[in-house]
Amino acid sequence: MTSTPSYEQRLATSRLLHRFGFGPTPGQFKNLLEHGLATTQSVVMTYGRDDPGTKTVTPLVLADLGNFPSGNNQAKSNAFWNRIQKDSADLVMWWLDRMVAASYPLTERMTWFWHGHWATSISSVTYPLTMKRQNDTLRKFALGNFDDMAREMVVDGALNIWLNNNENYVQAPNENLAREFMELMTLGVNHYSQNDVAAAALALTGYSTDQSNGKVTFNPKEHFSVPLGLLGATAIFDADSFAKLAVSKDDNVQFITDRLWFRFVSGSTAPPASLAASFANRDIASLVNALVHSTAWTDPANALVKSPVEWFVGACRALKVRPSSLNAGDTQYLLTQMGQVPFNPPNVGGWTYGTAWLNGVAFQYRFELAQNIIAKGDFGPLAVEPLNMVQACADWLGVAEWSARTANALTLSLATPSELALAAILSPEYMVSA
Amino acid sequence: MINCEFDRRRFLQWTGASVFAALTTQLSLESLANAAAKSPLPAKTPILVLVTLYGGNDGLNTVVPFTDPRYQSVRSNIALSHSQVIPITDSLAFNSSMPLISDLYTRRKVAIVQGVSYPDPSLSHFSSMAIWQSASLEGLTSGWIGRWLDQQPHSPFNAIGVGSTLPPAFVGEQTVASMVDVGGIQLPWGPVASVLPRLGDAAPSDVTLEAAAATSISDLYSTAKRVGPHIPKSPSGSWISQQLSLVSALINANVPTRVWEVNLSSFDTHTGEQGDQNSLLAEVDTAIGDFMTKISAGSHSHDVTVMIYSEFGRRVASNASDGTDHGTSAPVLLIGNGVKGGLYGEQPSLKRLDENGNLRVTTDFRAVYGGLLHDVLETPVRDVIPSWNGALSVH
Repeated sequence: MTSTPSYEQRLATSRLLHRFGFGPTPGQFKNLLEHGLATTQSVVMTYGRDDPGTKTVTPLVLADLGNFPSGNNQAKSNAFWNRIQKDSADLVMWWLDRMVAASYPLTERMTWFWHGHWATSISSVTYPLTMKRQNDTLRKFALGNFDDMAREMVVDGALNIWLNNNENYVQAPNENLAREFMELMTLGVNHYSQNDVAAAALALTGYSTDQSNGKVTFNPKEHFSVPLGLLGATAIFDADSFAKLAVSKDDNVQFITDRLWFRFVSGSTAPPASLAASFANRDIASLVNALVHSTAWTDPANALVKSPVEWFVGACRALKVRPSSLNAGDTQYLLTQMGQVPFNPPNVGGWTYGTAWLNGVAFQYRFELAQNIIAKGDFGPLAVEPLNMVQACADWLGVAEWSARTANALTLSLATPSELALAAILSPEYMVSA
Repeated sequence: MINCEFDRRRFLQWTGASVFAALTTQLSLESLANAAAKSPLPAKTPILVLVTLYGGNDGLNTVVPFTDPRYQSVRSNIALSHSQVIPITDSLAFNSSMPLISDLYTRRKVAIVQGVSYPDPSLSHFSSMAIWQSASLEGLTSGWIGRWLDQQPHSPFNAIGVGSTLPPAFVGEQTVASMVDVGGIQLPWGPVASVLPRLGDAAPSDVTLEAAAATSISDLYSTAKRVGPHIPKSPSGSWISQQLSLVSALINANVPTRVWEVNLSSFDTHTGEQGDQNSLLAEVDTAIGDFMTKISAGSHSHDVTVMIYSEFGRRVASNASDGTDHGTSAPVLLIGNGVKGGLYGEQPSLKRLDENGNLRVTTDFRAVYGGLLHDVLETPVRDVIPSWNGALSVH
């Protein structure tokens, strides 16, 4: 194709690459513009094969660290907590590296989405190994069937620790997992009653989790094995049949469809009524495919704010920087200050998206993180005639169009590509997916 | 089973402590200069400070119906004994982790509004916090302070949240409040320092979110200039103490801000409640006591009203894990030298519970907001809370 791509083509291509793949690798945006939207959609939907990119990330093997140290041995206790801290940092950097390295990033992107959906925090799970095992599960089912995912997650060790299912007894139910599983994970608020919460809590008795490795064991003697009225059915329920029942409800289809629409497409418009049909059999890939092929990508109303992790990973992909090559403590601290660190969502509702990410305080930390990326960055794509540099930068980062404000500001740094790149990743156009 | 004492804050200290130390020494607040107050907040301008307790603070172990025999019997594993409370009437007492607030109450500077929630309370953290922060049972997504901001002449100083993520209450239809962090403000440095402020200019082609991103940049520069010089250089004490120390310093420096927000998490005490809640309440108490001492010595001693609230109280009966599940109404505390202290509203009965074993609601939180809008923010209630005009005044 020789004709200049229209603004709409640039916008749709930019949105698809940023939202389903953390942003383009160098040269990818321009290349896909030449091939057209259908090619971009099929590239974005490519997953499930051997990924040469993530293969370059060394697999993370974590040990089971066992019980917390007891007694007054301070040295032993310090060693234990230092190990927890080191493994936690390794876990965060390992996942960020995978997001950045992926040649077909959809799997990592969907795993990231599901982490926010089944939001579990290491702050109370404590053990990185237990969090890693949940992450492996989310990746395994990231584009699979939601029924399989929900049945696996209801007995996920990290989720059971996080939502107090270890303290859920027949004689004294703890409702935390039962409620959040229906409210935040499968059905949505108000699509169940308080009686359903009480019944589901009983269905979830008898499971106990070994916190240091996430292994869940079922003890039938501790389980409430009496028929229960739950979500309109009456039977003896356990975790698996409860999860299956919740996912089988019609409300589950709209709930999950809405969740994906609001995260990937638009925070301000409602999904088209026809979209839910693509999730009728709970096939996640089919719903994602419908989103990728939606007609929404050229609607200016469908802008989204990039979350701190999405912004960071996008910049690292463009600048060819491995997160693990940066100072891990520094990166975690700055992401914390911006409001988002993987494995540490603020609560079981996950991260709140939108304009709350955009505030002056967050910008001061964003600047520092951007500087750290730039210090290791590769600016090859800016090796063009000065006159073409600002446009080359938009093509490199996958920005649809610079405003006159940003183009003028970038022009001040033509002599130094690293400074131009720094200003570009801190521009309003790059902080959001317009 | 392992009892996990490793909370989020401690985790952050572990992962960020060394970096934080390095960063604070880099801070050059003096470079922000310009301490001269261009538009100081006039004396006697009322100021509101919101203290949000995330997770659902157990109201019955905060303001305790200690002489009600039902209180001891339905939560025997977490009920506070008579030696663990500070009586304020024949039937009510403060948790003894709150000696300073209790003392302020004795000096009639604390209004306790009892049984606060809304009709048919949601037991979901997120739904309930959304209702409190939006002041809407009808699903408005803007925050109540945000809608108040929408009606003020734009200034990044009108409302300021402490930390680095905004509370939903501070997000309006058109306007978003500013933030400051306890660590201070460090403006971008280096060769691009002169370029970045230009990225904060409005561009006609910006879509709404790009405009919000640009405003965040310009807000950083204006906040640094106006607020930066007054930020305490070495924050100390608990997280809530650090936040409130910052707010008192900025109020005493006459920063032209009418609403502040600070917050504390971890009140979701499904397990091991007594130890956890007592230490959280002690942190709040120490921070509030120190805050009131500093405010009382400053130029806005009688202008400040503090509101302490949570998204819901907790179940009346405890569970077997020495904790409580999600509940409904709870007391709201309003504190200030200009507040008429005492008990407001009606203490919900421990005998007449709702069908889930929760307390009934005796005061609508929108009436508390109504009083604050009228008395503190000097705004007609209906302009901020559609189709509502109740106001419970404590001033």
